[in-house]
Amino acid sequence: MTERIERELWLPATPQEVWDAVTSDGWLGDRVSLELRPGGDAEFESDGQVRTGWIEDVAMPERLCFWWAVDDEPASRVELRILERDNGTRLRIVETRPLDVLDLVGVPLPGAGSAGYGPALVAA
Amino acid sequence: MSRNEPDDRAGAVFGALSDSTRRALLAAVAEHPATTATELAAQLPISRQAVLKHLNALTAAGLLERTRSGREVCYRFTPAPLSDAVDWMTAVGAEWDERLAVLRRQLGAGTGGIKAPRSGDADEVTTSAGSRDKARPSLRSAGTPAPPPTRRRSSPAAG
Repeated sequence: MTERIERELWLPATPQEVWDAVTSDGWLGDRVSLELRPGGDAEFESDGQVRTGWIEDVAMPERLCFWWAVDDEPASRVELRILERDNGTRLRIVETRPLDVLDLVGVPLPGAGSAGYGPALVAA
Repeated sequence: MSRNEPDDRAGAVFGALSDSTRRALLAAVAEHPATTATELAAQLPISRQAVLKHLNALTAAGLLERTRSGREVCYRFTPAPLSDAVDWMTAVGAEWDERLAVLRRQLGAGTGGIKAPRSGDADEVTTSAGSRDKARPSLRSAGTPAPPPTRRRSSPAAG
């Protein structure tokens, strides 16, 4: 298991419509400001909380890759891929954090119908 | 750009765990709390000196805690940096579930109701990581999505 979140969703819309929706205010944040070029600034504001970041790569309307972080949290990388598929559009999201602690020590994650944090963590 | 650099603490944890001997030590301490360097050296094919060096690295990363017991120093596993990672998975997974629900309402075909993401049916929401059962976003109000859960560091029970 890695520190990696993956989601996929099919939508009955065109890639451009999906692109517009995911880059508009209200989706990644209440107020979203994206400078759509590699190295461009990104800012996401929701409920007074501001995430700042930067654009790693952009290929409208099929790919947007950026980094974001809140305050002193480690930054994470988000990749959105928007592909035309089955008369609609498939949106695939991957958010990763560079740190890969769980994988290294083999700690089972909670929620997988399982032993919670694992005996070592419970004992500590 | 400082935002491009990994968080110092996270970097320390990563560095501490990048070594197989240190991982073995960490596992040994987790299994037997209040272990001493001498006891650990007896279990592993390395010197007490080398054990101490690794224990120092793990302690610096916040993965071990030192306590003094008489003349000996004991080590205990402190999983906070790890539960931080679990918190992250849980919170971030819930945020994306919520955003996808918003998108489905916005662009999905004539949805009468909101499908729970767990059903894994026609909408093909897939999950490869994270926890669905914890920190589940509220999907009740179609017009005004609830704010995404705040990321937090080390209090999985709160909220």
